[in-house]
Amino acid sequence: MNAKGGKTARQRLNIGAVRSKFSPWNDPSAEPLVRFEGVVKRFDDHVAVDGVSLAIYPGEFFALLGPSGCGKTTLMRLLAGFETPDEGRITLAGQDLAGQPPHRRPVNMMFQSYALFPHLSVAQNIAFGLKQENLPKGEIEARVQQMLKLVKLEPLARRKPHQLSGGQKQRVALARSLAKQPKMLLLDEPLGALDKKLREETQFELMDIQQELNTTFLMVTHDQEEAMVLADRIAVMRDGKIAQLGRPEELYETPADRYVAEFLGDVNLFEAKVASLSHPMAGIVIPETTQPLQVWDDDAPAAGSTVWLAVRPEKLRISLDPPPKGAVNVLAGEIWDIGYTGDWTNYVVELEGGKLIRAARANASRVVERPIGWDDKVWVSFDPDAGVVLTR
Amino acid sequence: MKTKRGERLAAIAPFLWLGVFFLFPFALVLKLSFSDQALAMPPYAPQIDWSAGLAGIRAFMSALDLETYARLKSDDLYLVAYLSSLRFAAIGTLLCLLVGYPIALGMARCAPNTRNILLLAVILPFWTSFLIRVYAWIAILKPEGLLNMGLEAIGLPGLSVLNTQAAVYVGLIYCYLPFMVLPIYAVLEKQDHSLLEAAADLGSPPWKSFWQVTVPLSLPGVTAGALLCFIPMVGEFVVPDLLGGVQTLMIGKTIWTEFFANRDWPSASAVAVVLLLTLVIPIVLYQRQQAKALEAGR
Amino acid sequence: MNRVGGLTRRVAVIAAAAMVLAGCGKSGPKEEVLHIYNWSDYIDPAVVSDFTKETGIKVVYDTFDSQEVMETKLLTGGTGYDLVVPANNSVPRLIQAGVLQKLDKAQLSNFGNLWPDLMARMDPFDPGAQYAAPYMWGTIGIGYNVEAVKQRLPGMAIDSWDVVFRPENIAKLKDCGVYMLDASEDMFTVALAAQGKNPNSLVEADYAAATDMLLKIRPSVRKFHSSEYINALANGDICVAVGFSGDVFQAKARADEAGGKVKIDYVIPREGTQVYFDVFAIPADAPNPTAALKFMNYMLRPEVAAKASNYVQFANANEKALPHVDAEIRDNPNIYPTPEVFSRLFVATSKDPKLVREINRQWTRVVTGR
Repeated sequence: MNAKGGKTARQRLNIGAVRSKFSPWNDPSAEPLVRFEGVVKRFDDHVAVDGVSLAIYPGEFFALLGPSGCGKTTLMRLLAGFETPDEGRITLAGQDLAGQPPHRRPVNMMFQSYALFPHLSVAQNIAFGLKQENLPKGEIEARVQQMLKLVKLEPLARRKPHQLSGGQKQRVALARSLAKQPKMLLLDEPLGALDKKLREETQFELMDIQQELNTTFLMVTHDQEEAMVLADRIAVMRDGKIAQLGRPEELYETPADRYVAEFLGDVNLFEAKVASLSHPMAGIVIPETTQPLQVWDDDAPAAGSTVWLAVRPEKLRISLDPPPKGAVNVLAGEIWDIGYTGDWTNYVVELEGGKLIRAARANASRVVERPIGWDDKVWVSFDPDAGVVLTR
Repeated sequence: MKTKRGERLAAIAPFLWLGVFFLFPFALVLKLSFSDQALAMPPYAPQIDWSAGLAGIRAFMSALDLETYARLKSDDLYLVAYLSSLRFAAIGTLLCLLVGYPIALGMARCAPNTRNILLLAVILPFWTSFLIRVYAWIAILKPEGLLNMGLEAIGLPGLSVLNTQAAVYVGLIYCYLPFMVLPIYAVLEKQDHSLLEAAADLGSPPWKSFWQVTVPLSLPGVTAGALLCFIPMVGEFVVPDLLGGVQTLMIGKTIWTEFFANRDWPSASAVAVVLLLTLVIPIVLYQRQQAKALEAGR
Repeated sequence: MNRVGGLTRRVAVIAAAAMVLAGCGKSGPKEEVLHIYNWSDYIDPAVVSDFTKETGIKVVYDTFDSQEVMETKLLTGGTGYDLVVPANNSVPRLIQAGVLQKLDKAQLSNFGNLWPDLMARMDPFDPGAQYAAPYMWGTIGIGYNVEAVKQRLPGMAIDSWDVVFRPENIAKLKDCGVYMLDASEDMFTVALAAQGKNPNSLVEADYAAATDMLLKIRPSVRKFHSSEYINALANGDICVAVGFSGDVFQAKARADEAGGKVKIDYVIPREGTQVYFDVFAIPADAPNPTAALKFMNYMLRPEVAAKASNYVQFANANEKALPHVDAEIRDNPNIYPTPEVFSRLFVATSKDPKLVREINRQWTRVVTGR
């Protein structure tokens, strides 16, 4: 994390717009539920998981985020027991899982394809896991009813999977994997097959359910928005390794490197050189402007080092008027393109020298005095604490 | 317009096929079963006298009767032969299932390359004559055949298998196995592997998942395979004739006797009609029930 | 019913059918073709090729493995065959059904070569020899493995139906294997003869009594089948077969060829047995009856008939051919019986459909116990 989490910075600067009470990972006495320790998994000559160490705490909603092929699904399958690690170990509640077949592990998984049993009704699907434990019939029925209520599918209990919509199937799959009250629920792209609107609704339902049951959730997703909305913490994965681990707002506002910065949301990246250091500020030079930029950075590398400045579009101000004399961090340019999405307006600005950057403005009011148009000359500026200096 | 006509033609093609190659011959057999044996060429009466026009057809119709069916009722030989055939076919089908299911399962779980080789191995025997394959079993099962030579070589007493019911079952399994394996394989091969993972994830050990997931989902294949085996097995003639012993009474042989030995085509036809009905009715009932089950599920 | 052939009999049928197809494809428009339908392995191939050499008529030779199949084909009509070889007892049925055409005796200059004694026996089936010309004839008897039977029935003369039709005798043979023909009418004639009854009885009760006898010995019979016994005897898989003389001699020849470890013999039981004739006849709808007559007349030549006998080891019906037949065959009383034995041979008559049905029903009871 590029030394960004330094104590001094944390005291002065609150990262992100959320204040969360839940942070067992900062509590040295907290005991993790799951621990991956140096886990390696190879398929033929391809290393799918490359030495991952990770701790997930009870009650946490944890997301593994990354593009396809990054090893996130393999990591989850290792935990479920469908794959065995080549190196390292995985413990659950302090117990080594090695040698335990999937059907003995106290975790349950919601499959990306849902994997509902097509020959069983909704209720029978939900009851499947309970039946394996030879619970009394009445108890099974009661639990199934409880689950049906949880996912609001009571009227459809007797339907077969092929008679359900995508969203209904997703709920059945969720109910089925929760029915056994697992120590941990694994969700493989849980919302991947749903359309956008349904996905948003379901996101909040998932959060509600997780809070209601207080079960630990581990989710695999390639959708950064989904991960950010749902998860307490996210591990961004790249080529079998964890690129960065942290709360969503940490990852967004203080990405460890360009990969994470670009993977989560939009970002404008400038290649830069450190010009001067005056703690906690740093002066850096970019080719797009002659004036050095002033950024907040209490441990930037030595002068002369190559760095990257990352600034999120919404943290850029855009103006038709030239800035007052003495203003810092101003870049002149011309409007190249405009995208209006209702809540936001996205501007693409061509800087002097041809570099394109993005600036976003919330449409906070319905009427605008001087709307910005194509080819308008504009000035883009940002505060010293809006940008992040990355060394990788 | 043209494509529409083409579509319509495609839609009636199966019915045309059914009509020309099933219903029409069946109607002939049915008509024949109402006729009487005669010493003539062909050896039955009445024949339609087309030259007499409508009167000829009327005379023909009035000469038809149910005498042959009365005979089937009067002698319990036919009933016994039907029951014996049904029993042979049922046990034969069951044995085919017991042998064929693991083969199909093994094939479906193989790597795709191996799968194709195994598939070929299942189909390959079909490239030689059915009769030669049955004769080969005679060479294997006869008292001084390969089986007993093998048993002798490892110091075991010989078995007398040829001309017993056991030999008939061996022959039936051998000849009909592919008809059982292929439909089951087709279903198993398409089965979503994640279902087994889901079952394991929900606490079901592999053997239990087999019974709870794999088997129920392969039932359409099992049904298809069972029908493909059972129906021809009921009427099977060659296998019991060549491999069976004295106690093997089957309806195929009964039809043969009526047709060839008694030269009684009407009776042979009647036996065939009843055989067809005993096979078709359960299948129709089964399909009805399947359709209803599907309906009820909705 | 099955006289000759063996393991690959049905295969031979298929092969023959293929040959017919191939032959059809090749034959030019001018080439004269004769279609013959006969028992398989029932003719010396040289005889046929000689005929073609002599006359230029191409012969398409098709074979069958059961009398019933052949007869059913003929009754259906439109077979395309010019010459067929049914057995004597089916001839009246075929005549009555109108399946056969009368022979043009003017074309059959060699008809007079036929043996009058045999022709007299053939007369009830084909009065005045209007439809058929006998080819070969044989008997139904007991084929047996000499050593195996001697071991199990020591001191017993193997010359009577008692060997196979008495439960106490056949029980001793059960372990080495007994086959009987699966041919209802033929088996009942010999069973009735063994019981001293009219072998062609028209009394249903006689058949019931014969069934009782056969049911008593049935547990000792390994199989009723009309062709498998040839190989089974030759290989030593079984030790006794009630079968056709020609088949048994075929088995004997094979056993001798195989090194003589198995010694097969054939006996005509002293109670008498059925003699049968296989006759040449021309279907009413034969496409080329002229060629059929030519072939028939050719086969009636003494040297040709003798050549045929020497090959298939059957007695032929040609009196003039006798001197040309190999002594080994001619002097074998089980092929050419002595006049004394000959007097005890009988023919199977053609029965009406009702009795045939009853006989077949009784036979089913014998074979399956039902």
